[in-house]
This record gives sequence, C-alpha cells and structure tokens, in this order.
Amino acid sequence: MSANANELKFIRRDRMRYENNKLSSNLAIIAIVFNCFFFISIYGSNVGNFYYTLMMGASIVYNLLFMLIVFLVAEGSKSYHIGYSYIAIPVGILQFVRILGYPRIAHTATISLADDSIVNVMGNAQFTRTVLYLCISGICLLLSAAIGIYKCRELTSHLKELEAASPKADAA
Amino acid sequence: MAKLSLQHLDKIYDNDVQAVYDFNMEVEDGELIVLVGPSGCGKSTTLRMIAGLEDISNGKLLLDGKDITQAPAKDRDMAMVFQNYALYGHMTVYENMAFSLTLRKENPNVIYKKVLAAAEILDLTSQLNKKPSQLSGGQRQRVAMGRAIVRNPKLFLFDEPLSNLDAKLRGSTRREILLLHKRLKATMLYVTHDQTEALTLADRIVCMSMGHVQQIGTPLELYDSPANIFVASFIGLPPMNFFNVKVEGGKLTSSTLSVELDAEDKARLKAYEGKEITLGVRPEDIGEGGQTKIKVMTNENLGLNTLVHGHLGADGKGEQITCKFRGWCEYKDGDEVSIRFNRMHFFDKETTNAIVKEEK
Repeated sequence: MSANANELKFIRRDRMRYENNKLSSNLAIIAIVFNCFFFISIYGSNVGNFYYTLMMGASIVYNLLFMLIVFLVAEGSKSYHIGYSYIAIPVGILQFVRILGYPRIAHTATISLADDSIVNVMGNAQFTRTVLYLCISGICLLLSAAIGIYKCRELTSHLKELEAASPKADAA
Repeated sequence: MAKLSLQHLDKIYDNDVQAVYDFNMEVEDGELIVLVGPSGCGKSTTLRMIAGLEDISNGKLLLDGKDITQAPAKDRDMAMVFQNYALYGHMTVYENMAFSLTLRKENPNVIYKKVLAAAEILDLTSQLNKKPSQLSGGQRQRVAMGRAIVRNPKLFLFDEPLSNLDAKLRGSTRREILLLHKRLKATMLYVTHDQTEALTLADRIVCMSMGHVQQIGTPLELYDSPANIFVASFIGLPPMNFFNVKVEGGKLTSSTLSVELDAEDKARLKAYEGKEITLGVRPEDIGEGGQTKIKVMTNENLGLNTLVHGHLGADGKGEQITCKFRGWCEYKDGDEVSIRFNRMHFFDKETTNAIVKEEK
C-alpha cells in the first residue's frame, strides 16, 4: 500500500476518534420512521372491529418498545458503543418476522359488511406497502448494526495501535 | 493576509443616534490593531461594521483594495471571535472547530487535517472529543479561536475575547493570542476596554471615545505622547494626575504648586504665558524628594512599587494626587512627603489637546 493510501486510511480511522457514527445513528432513526409508516398504514383500511383484539394491543406495545429501543440504539451507535449495534440485529430481524403478523393475517382475512358483502381486510396495494415499510425498517437496522460493529472494531483496533505506539514515542 | 482600509466610516442608527463618527484607518498586512476605549465608545460597533454584522451608514470599507462596504458577512472572508465564545454545546470541540468547513462541504479528510493543525497550535489536541461544558473558560476561548483559524480567513476580528476570563487566565490567554499572531502573521483587529491588553498586544492602538477616534499610534506613542487629556487619562495605570496651573515667567504655578520649567518646556509653553493650562503627570513619573509637598491619604504596597494617594500641599488641601514610588514604602495617613515631577505633559485647557513642540 502506498504512503498516501496509508495516510488516508489512518486519517479515515483517526477521524472516528472525533466524529460521531452518524451513518449508523441515522439508519436507526430511518428504521423508526419506516416503522411509523407501517403502523400508520395498518389503519388505512376501515374494516369494522377486525383489529379489536389482544394481538393489536400487543402490536401497539411492541411498536412503543421498538421506538424506545431503536432510539437508544441510534444514540449508542452514534458514540461507537458496540453493544447497541448488537441489539439492533435481533430487532432488525424481528421486523421481517413481523410480516408474518398483521400484514399477512389482515391480507388473508375477509370480513362481511353491514350490506352482507364480503371484502378483504387488507388489499394487495396496502399489503405490499406495509411489507415494504417493515422490510426497509429491518434493512436499515441491520445495516446500522453492521456499520456500527465494523466501525467500533476498527476504532478499537486503531486506539490499540495508537496506545501501542505512544510508549515508543515516549521512549524515543 | 490582508490590507484593510476604513474610509470615513459613520454609523447612524435608525433612531438617529450616531455611534461612530468619520473613522479613518489603514490596517497593514499582518498588523494587530487594538481598538480601545470605555463602554459605549463605538469600538465594537466599528468591528461589527467591518465584519458585516452592522450596516455602514457612510464611508467605504476596502479589503485588499476591493470595496466590501455592501458585501454580506459571509462573503467577507473574516473570522470573528466573540466574548461569549459562541460554541455549540451539543458538539464536541472537533465538531465545533470543523463546523464552518462542514457547512462549506469541504472534504472530511481536509477538515481533519485543518482542525488537527489548529488544535496543535492552540494545544487543544487532547480536548478534541470533549464537549465545551467540560472545558475551562480559557480552553473554550481557545476553541473559539481554533474555529476562526481553521477557516484561514483574511482577517481575524476579536470582540473582547478575554472579558469572561478571570485575571490569571486572561494573562495567559493574552500571551497565547500574541504568540498566535506571531505564528500566523495574520491581520487582526482586537476590541477591548482593557488598556493592559491594548498595550501588550497591539502593533497600533486606536483609542476611541464617544464614537470619535482620539488617537491612532503605537502603544509607546499613546503612552508617551498622548494626543489629548482623554488618551492621557485612559492609557496608563494608575491614571495620569491632572492639575490646573498657570504659566508664569518660566514656572507653572497654582495655589499648591510651583514647578520650574526647563528650557525646552519654556519654549513649548511660550504661547501660553500668563494663561492657564492642564498639567499632566503620570504617577510613575513622580519621584521622592523635591520641593512639592503632599499629605498622604492612603498607602498601597504592591511589592515592587508603592502607590501613595494624597493631596497637594503641606496642609493637604490641594488637588488629589497619586504617586507610584519604587520599593516598599511605609507612609502613614497624614505624613508629609516631598515629591518632584520627573516628566510632565501639558494640555490646552480649552481644547484638551496636548501642547506639542512647534516644528521649525
């Protein structure tokens, strides 16, 4: 590797000592935003009392917990705390698992209206939209975690290198 | 580096209050100019006009020959350091220093190099990932200076940057600014009301009062040859003593004073024979032993010097006077002390201007 490339690599790694991990943090925030889009769009269909179940209560509680946890992940990964990035992995995977919950259940369910007509609870377009929101949210979280872990490891090894180099400098 | 020209600058506010009158000055490349004066004299207004934070009512402002009178602040290529630091509390020192460059969308690697270079100059390298709240006042002011340095501006403007610091820190930060100026060789304009800062930092001082420039000169010129009573009283600590005296037959006389003039002073005051003038004597130009008597009021020992406050005349009924004697003096209240004036300044009583030797 040329001296210039080495210098650039050093600068890129050393910058992490002073700059926040904004990329990981912003990706986590985007994950929250798309999760919001998801649960807002769930109520897009007016389907009587289909959603008035215990499962919807659980879903609401999970959404609140999700926002809290992912916000903490955003703040933690911003300051290179690797633990928060690890937390983002299962939460991100759960976003994909959630597709099997309401989007799928509502998409396959039908309900009879007052005029005895039978309609789908969730149409194809709404289903695609909700699945897309959950997928984007999940992808953002997994990316946030991957970038966070990579940067944390790189920063740790850089700091170790600097620490190892400093006694030599003192001795010199 | 930059050359700044201020031509007949006026500042008149909307309510017709005029803050600055006909300000003229040429600032050379790499000069450190200090604007000094009491509160409300127009020094900060002048600086803000230069920075583009205040409109210029009349006159012209040229930077390197280019007219920037109407140019917006962002296009003037000047960096200003404020008294209250103006740092972003939620950002680290690094981010604060890098902020202006980030706004300009500079390459992050270039920003890194510039910030680290500035931090090295200001001895802030170990503080880069701290928040401003974790720093002392002096360090915060250094960060504010660092933010100015990374921009590499043509002109540095300092608006009373040391006013928020305690006396000890002010002294050390002042020395740092001086070293910074020597290192960067940058053109700097510095506003202060502290004459010590002005005398120690400046290549040239601009002394202002009530919106008017009173005198522009080197610190020594202002100290040694003040243009008028205002400058004489403002520059120097403790301030100069002033006495109303009459010029009579080669002597300066009053009810409590009688001072013999030398040939040079006689010639200088020839036109004032029989008239009243103001005599100015700096406390440090007064020595012990002589024909003039004072009655001691208080005595302040400063270690190397002693400040003796008293009244002229053996009966102590004359004008108040402050003397600065060398060494440790143990005068008591009511003691009679003989003094002599080693050096005197003369001012016209009506115009308050200094009476200077007429050029042949």
